[in-house]
Amino acid sequence: MNSLWTVMSFTMRTKLRNKAFLITTAVLAILLVVVGNLPTLLSKLDSDKATKVGYVQGVHDELIQGLTAFYAGQEKPQVQLIGGASEDALKDSLEDGDIKGFVTFADNPTVGFPDATYHAKSSLNSGTAQSITVGLQVVKNQIVLKELNPSEEQLKLLTATVTVSQEQVRFTNDAGKTPEEEGTAIGLTYVLIILLFMAVMITGQLIATEITAEKSSRVMEIIVTSVSPLKQMFGKILGTFIVGIVQMVVLVGALVLNLAQQNNLDALKDMGVDLGAIDPKLIAFAVFFYLTGFFLYATLFAAVGSIVSRTEDLGQAILPITMLTLAGFYIAVFGISQPESSVVTICSYVPFFAPFLMFLRIGLTEPSVWEVLLSVGILLASIIVIGWISAKIYRTGVLMYGKRPSLKELFKAMKAYKV
Amino acid sequence: MSVLTVDNIVKNYGDKRAVNQLSFEVQEGEIYGLLGANGAGKTTTMRMVLGLILPDEGDIRYRGKAYSKEQLSMLGYLPEERGMYPKLKVSDQIIYLAELRGMSRKDADKNLKYWLERFQVPEYYNKKVEELSKGNQQKIQFIAAVIHKPKIVIMDEAFSGLDPVNVELLKSTVKELRDEGTSIVFSTHRMEHVEELCRNITIMHRSNPVLQGSIKDIKKKFPQERIVLASDGAIEGLDGISGVKQVVRHEHGGYELKVDSPYAGQKILQHALAQGPITRFEIMEPTLNEIFIKTVGEHNE
Repeated sequence: MNSLWTVMSFTMRTKLRNKAFLITTAVLAILLVVVGNLPTLLSKLDSDKATKVGYVQGVHDELIQGLTAFYAGQEKPQVQLIGGASEDALKDSLEDGDIKGFVTFADNPTVGFPDATYHAKSSLNSGTAQSITVGLQVVKNQIVLKELNPSEEQLKLLTATVTVSQEQVRFTNDAGKTPEEEGTAIGLTYVLIILLFMAVMITGQLIATEITAEKSSRVMEIIVTSVSPLKQMFGKILGTFIVGIVQMVVLVGALVLNLAQQNNLDALKDMGVDLGAIDPKLIAFAVFFYLTGFFLYATLFAAVGSIVSRTEDLGQAILPITMLTLAGFYIAVFGISQPESSVVTICSYVPFFAPFLMFLRIGLTEPSVWEVLLSVGILLASIIVIGWISAKIYRTGVLMYGKRPSLKELFKAMKAYKV
Repeated sequence: MSVLTVDNIVKNYGDKRAVNQLSFEVQEGEIYGLLGANGAGKTTTMRMVLGLILPDEGDIRYRGKAYSKEQLSMLGYLPEERGMYPKLKVSDQIIYLAELRGMSRKDADKNLKYWLERFQVPEYYNKKVEELSKGNQQKIQFIAAVIHKPKIVIMDEAFSGLDPVNVELLKSTVKELRDEGTSIVFSTHRMEHVEELCRNITIMHRSNPVLQGSIKDIKKKFPQERIVLASDGAIEGLDGISGVKQVVRHEHGGYELKVDSPYAGQKILQHALAQGPITRFEIMEPTLNEIFIKTVGEHNE
């Protein structure tokens, strides 16, 4: 136990003193502070200034009047209409930047209402065009209604919007999630899956790199004569794990502290994200799956790191594990839109994918308790089995030098070393 | 009681036999030489002594006890391939390695300072290993092997890559350790070091121990067939004496003769004295270098 702690504290100390590590963390933290304040910044940028849109004076005056009235009625007008003498004059002022775009109309006899075209420097900014479409739709309705002259009641019925509200069915006693909660859950699940993936990949590779570096610098020979390889491996994994957690706390803390500022919360609420609606159970599951995912992959990375003698060969050697994590990650990303699909369900029992996919299912659907337990059980059992196999590979691998051994050579060596 | 007993150990790697029925004993305060050409099985033997791998047959005992975790702290290891963390400070890694061997941080720090002082390089305490020259890295490596005052030290190619001054420094340190009672298993290709330091040796060849015993006894088994002779003037007719096989004249004066038996020496001396005063006459015992080449070479054929 004592030497395990020595290895752990050494791993942590060297990592935390590493300049590159500190700088990366600081840069990431600053980045996340910016991201954390993004909601406020975005709402500031989305400022109340109306987009200036030109029109040709004297043509289709009734439409322009209707549009002007429509925008005048808005709390924050999105569009400010500016008259121009002709299309060419409008083009000139568009070039000068006086207006952002302009509308022209062309009669459409089959419909009986003119088609409009929005001219702008870029066709990407479709927000203004959409706003004009909505405005024109209203104008058209008003013109038609004026001709029909309906009663007040008919008018009221016509303008009333149909409401369709959504509610997820829950089979437990809890209330179902509202769409807002559902949206928050999807967002949160997405963010957490990305975090999970990154944490597992980064820390896993860190472990593999360090072990290979120890091997290639031959410190390993001294270390394995001082402490049992198993203790060394788990000391390294645990040490890196704690460093990883510290880093995560710093980074997530930087994000959450800034997001939790009242102005950011308000801005988020305007966007339909309510941080207060986050289910604490989901966070607990996120932590749990982070832990299991980390240990599952960390032991694998350690085993692979131990059989490679040179850091140059490491990238190739860890490729299979990288692919495995990538596969799990992508199934999860695609599964966000279809969390009920059978691919997601089946893969959530595969230990390598379970940390991503079972978490996804818990976040977005309602898996029954036995499903969660089965998946977690398989996951825990495989962590033990894989940890055991990895430890064996590690014990053999650290003593093998030269080219990367094939599986057959590895088994032979394991037999010879009697591990 | 011997500190380290290696009893008839055998190690196979697949179909290949790496060490075949090797036995030896190391007493307290003894430096034991383990010699052999590259690939003879020295490193495998050392790894078994260190407990990294287990022998297939036979056993290794430390003060009469079998290998266990407790033995780890009484072992020290200086590997053939030098290994340190290049990016770490000397103090950080030496203290770490000492801690792994069960030392407290404070003691490790104190010992490290003592050893750095001893090697006249106290300024390396805060330096990164990659900033040091190869020879100085070697000194640090040496400190790592002995800092925890081990009872048994395994040294694989201890003095390779060092300049003569530093070789002397390390050699005297090794002798000091020996005099303090440390048992050392020592492997090198430099036979003059073995002759100077070791009492008993094993020469291994292709996994087999081919020559074992004290250096004195081993030398007795090999005939003395070299004579060194020097005088102020030239000595004529040396190759005419019966028993002389070869005469080599050195540039700086003096002769080296190969003879078929040491008895030829008397005749040579008489012959030489008749021609004038002799400044040097010596019947040389075979050097370990010659013995090694002869032994390994013979078995090679």
